[in-house]
Amino acid sequence: MDEPLALGVAVPARPHARWMLRAVGAALVLTGIVLAALEVSRAGAWGPVLARLGLGAFGWGPLVGAVKGLVEARRGAVVPQALWLLGPAAAAWLVGWALVAAGSLSRTTPEPVTAEAAGTAHTSPLATWRDFHLGTLAAYGLGILGAELVLVLVQTALASASRGVGWGAPAAFGVALTLAAVVAFLGGFVGAARSRKLSAPEATIAVLYLGVPLPALLSVLPTLPALDATLGPRFREIIYLANLLGRPELGYWLTFSLLVLGLTLGILTGFVANASGRLDVRTGFELFVARRHVHVFRPRLLLGGLGVLLLGIIPPLIILGILRAADAVVERTRIRELGRRDPLAAAKALHEAQAKSQSPTEMMTALSVGGVGVGVMALIIVLSVMSGFEVDLQKKILGTNAHVVVLKYGDPQAGMPEYPEVMKKIAGVPGVVGQTPFLLGQVMVASEAQVDGAIIKGVDPETTGQVTDLPRNILPGGDIRWLAHSEDIPVRSRYRMDRPKDDDVIQMPKEAPSGPPLPGILLGRELASSLRVLVGDPVTVVSPLGGGMGPSGPIPKSKAFRVAGIFYTGMFEYDSKFVYVGLKAAESFFGIPGATGVELKVKDVDDARRIASTVLNTLEGYPYRTKDWGEMNRNLFSALRLEKLVMGIILSIIVVVAAGLIVATVTMLVLEKRKEISVLKALGVPQGGIVKIFLAEGLQIGLAGGILGLFSGLAWCLFIEKVGLRLDPEVYYIPSLPVKIEPLQTALTVLIAILVTYLASIYPALRASRVEPVEGLKGE
Amino acid sequence: MAFIEIRDLSKSYWLHGKRIDVLRALSLDIERGELVSLVGASGSGKSTFLHVLGTLDAPVAGTMTVDGVDVLGLPDADLARFRNRTVGFVFQSHYLLPEFTALENVAIPALVQRMERPTAFRRARSLLDRVGLGARVDHRPGELSGGEAQRVALARALVLQPHVLLADEPTGNLDPVTGEGIHQVLREVNRDLGITAVVVTHNEALARSMPRRLRLAGGKVEPA
Repeated sequence: MDEPLALGVAVPARPHARWMLRAVGAALVLTGIVLAALEVSRAGAWGPVLARLGLGAFGWGPLVGAVKGLVEARRGAVVPQALWLLGPAAAAWLVGWALVAAGSLSRTTPEPVTAEAAGTAHTSPLATWRDFHLGTLAAYGLGILGAELVLVLVQTALASASRGVGWGAPAAFGVALTLAAVVAFLGGFVGAARSRKLSAPEATIAVLYLGVPLPALLSVLPTLPALDATLGPRFREIIYLANLLGRPELGYWLTFSLLVLGLTLGILTGFVANASGRLDVRTGFELFVARRHVHVFRPRLLLGGLGVLLLGIIPPLIILGILRAADAVVERTRIRELGRRDPLAAAKALHEAQAKSQSPTEMMTALSVGGVGVGVMALIIVLSVMSGFEVDLQKKILGTNAHVVVLKYGDPQAGMPEYPEVMKKIAGVPGVVGQTPFLLGQVMVASEAQVDGAIIKGVDPETTGQVTDLPRNILPGGDIRWLAHSEDIPVRSRYRMDRPKDDDVIQMPKEAPSGPPLPGILLGRELASSLRVLVGDPVTVVSPLGGGMGPSGPIPKSKAFRVAGIFYTGMFEYDSKFVYVGLKAAESFFGIPGATGVELKVKDVDDARRIASTVLNTLEGYPYRTKDWGEMNRNLFSALRLEKLVMGIILSIIVVVAAGLIVATVTMLVLEKRKEISVLKALGVPQGGIVKIFLAEGLQIGLAGGILGLFSGLAWCLFIEKVGLRLDPEVYYIPSLPVKIEPLQTALTVLIAILVTYLASIYPALRASRVEPVEGLKGE
Repeated sequence: MAFIEIRDLSKSYWLHGKRIDVLRALSLDIERGELVSLVGASGSGKSTFLHVLGTLDAPVAGTMTVDGVDVLGLPDADLARFRNRTVGFVFQSHYLLPEFTALENVAIPALVQRMERPTAFRRARSLLDRVGLGARVDHRPGELSGGEAQRVALARALVLQPHVLLADEPTGNLDPVTGEGIHQVLREVNRDLGITAVVVTHNEALARSMPRRLRLAGGKVEPA
C-alpha cells in the first residue's frame, strides 16, 4: 500500500457535496408535489384525486391515480384552464428523485479500513460489502418489464397469427406466459448471481417502478377514454383475454403476480447458485444430506398421509392405534421371552424400542406434508368440480344454442328473406359444419289449464338437427318431423266441450278433426308439465303485438298449435322457456318474411370466434353481423370463471398456511442441526451449499405434499365421477355433481403449491447458511 | 518462506462489554511436514488459535499465508475450498453426522467436492481399513464407541489427503490406551504422507513425544 496509513476510519470524500445533492433533490421533489397540489386545487379535483390516492398509495399508483382523478375532474367541466402546471410538477418530482439517488449512490474512493494493531487489512466480509447494485437493479427491472412486454407482444403476435392455425387466445396465452416467466426468471437469476445476494431493495424498486406500471395502466385504461382510444388497440388481445374473466383487473394482477413469482424464483436460484462467489448449480451432495435429514419419502408416512386425505383423520388414527398396540404387544412379549434367556440382548432391544419414538421435528414434517396435501387436494377437487359445472353448462347451452348466429342490422320485422342465398355463401366457409335458418319471437303459451310466457323459435325441422341437439332431446312419443307434417300428430280427444267459451281473445281451440290440421309445436318438459299438456294436446300461442292496432292499443294475435313433442335439455331455463314451431308457421304467425337469422355449427367450439369473423367477411359485413356462443353467454361464463378463480385464491390460503408450517418445520430443523451445519462448513461446504441443503428439505416436504394431494385429489374426483354425489334435482337440475379433471389446471395447481413451499423455505435456509462454523463447535 | 506464515495475528472477544484479548499479535512459522504440539492452560486460546488456523474463525487483525496464499482475504467459496482440500480437522468430540454411516461420514469431504460416489466410498473404505475399522463401515456414530468414533473422525479428516491436519485435543475424551492408538495414527500419517500436523493437547507425555513443542500463554506462542 503506497498511501500513508490512515488513522482510524477513512472518511468518504466530500460529504458536503453529497448532502447538498440530497437536499436539493428533496427540495425539488417537494416542489413537484406542491406544484401538483396547486394544480389539483385549481382544478377542484381533490375529491377524485384523493379517492385514487387512497387506492394505490405505493409505486406509480399515486401518480396514475392522481392523473386519473384530474381527468375525471376535468370531465366534470369545472376546469378553468389547461393543466400547464402538471408538466413542471412531474419534471421537478422526477429530477428531484434523481438527485437524491445521485447523492446517495455517488461512489467514494474505497479506502480500506486499517487496523491500528498491525497495519494489515481488515478481513471481515463487510470490507467488500456493497449496499446497492445498479447492475442488479437493471437486471431485475429488465426481467420484470421485459417479461411483461414479452407477454403482451407474444400474445398479440400469436393470437393474431393463429387466425388460420386454429389455436385460440388461451393457448397463445399459455405460450406467452411461459416465455414471459422464463424472461423474468432469467432477469432474477442474472441479477442475484451478479450481486451474490438477494438484493431486496433492488427487487422492490424494480417491481414497483418497472413492473407495476403496465398492469396499473391496463387496469385504469377503460376509465380513460382518450388513452383507451390510442393504447387500447395495442393491447387488444390482452384486454380481450382478461375480459373473458369478467373482471379484467383480476386477470392483470394475477398474471403480474405470476411473473413476480418467476422473478423471485430466478433471484433465489441465482443467489443459491452463486452465493459463494462461484457458480455451482450441482446439487448431488446437498440432496444426499437433505434426504437424510427429512425422510418424507418413507412408505409409512406417504401411506398414512394418503389414508388421512382419503378417509379423514379419525379412521386412519384408529387403524394406526390398533396396529401400534398390536405391535407393542408382540414386541413386549418378545423382549420378555428374550429377558429369560439373554438379559443383555433384552436391554438392547428395549433401548431400541424406546429410540424408535418420533422426534418433534419428524412430527412437524409429517404435519407439513399433510398440510400441503390437504391444500392441493382441496384445490384439485373444487377446481375440477367447477370445471365440471362449466363443461356441463357449456354442453347444455351448445345443445340448444348454435355456436355462431348470423343476424342482420335494422328492423327485426324486416327479417332476412334472403336467407337461402346467405346460407349458400356461408356453406363455403371452412370450419362450418351445419347451418339452419331460425325465427325468434316472444309469446304467451296457453293451454286449457295455464298460461306461461315463452320464447318461440321457428326452426327448419330438416336442418335444425345439423346445428342443435333439438331432435335428440325430444322425449319418446314426439317427433320433430311432425312440425312439418302436423297431420301425423296423434290427436288426443279428451277435450271437454262443456267448458264455457266466454273469452273471445284467447279462444280455446275447438276440437277440429275436420278442416286443416293444427300446426305442430314442441314444448320443453317443464313448460309442458306446468301447462299440463301432452303430445297431441292443443295449445294456443298468443303474441301481444301481432294483431295490428285497435281502438284501445295493439291487439293480440293468437293461433292454435298441437303439441308435436316434448323435449328435455337438462337446463331449467330452456325447458321452461323455449317452444319450437316450424319456420313457415312462425313466418306466417309473426308476419316476418324469411327468418331472423341463420344458426351455424362449427367444427371446433373454441374456434367459434374466429370462424364467426370469417363468415362475416364472406358476407361482406354490413348489414350482417355475427355472434358466437361465448359472446351470447358472456355473463354466465365469465361469472363462472370468476367464481372459479376466487375459489382458487381462497383455497390457496390453505397452501399458504401449509407454507407457514414449512417455515416453522425447516426453522426447527435448522435449530436442531446447528452443530451439523458447523461441521459441514468445517468440512468445506460453502454457504450456497448449506442454503441448497435446507431448500431441498423444504422442497421435499412440498413435493411429498403435492404428490399426496395430487393422488388423493384425483382419487376423490374419480370417486365423484364414477360413484357420483347425488344432488337435489329440484335445486340443481343436475342429477349428480359433475367433475371434469383438466390436466393442465391440475398440474399447475401442484406446481404452484410446490413453488410456494420452495419459497417458504428460503428464510430458514438463509438463516442456516449464516451459522458461523465455530458456533456449533463450542461448548462441548 | 515457511509453509504456514502467521504474522501479528490478533483475536479479541467482547464479553459483557469487556474486551478479552485471546491472541495478541501472534507470529509463527510452521514448515511443511512438521509435527507440532501446542500446550497451554485451559482458556489460553488454544482452540481459538486452531480455529483461526483452519479459517473457521476470523481474526481481528493480522495475516496468515498458507503456501504463499493469503487465506484470510479469500471469499467464501475459496475459503470453503481451502477447508475442504487443504485442511483436515479432528475435534475433541468426534462431531460425526448422526444420520450417516461411518463410511458415508468419511466420504463426505470427498462428496462435497463432487467426487463420484463410488470413488469417494472406495477411498473412505481404504481409510477406515487404515484406522482399523474396516469391519464397522455400516455402523452409525451412535453405534460406535468413543475411540472408534474418534478414529472415524480422523479418517474423515484424512480422506482428501490434506496438507495440514489440525487436531484439537483429539484424545481428550478417551482413556490413555485408546488415546495412544490415535496418537500412533497421527504420527504415522505425518511420517508416511508428509502431512503437516498441529496437535493441541493437555497430555504432557504426548506433547513431549512431538518433534516441535509450543506453548500458548498470554496470547503469544513460545517454545515449550
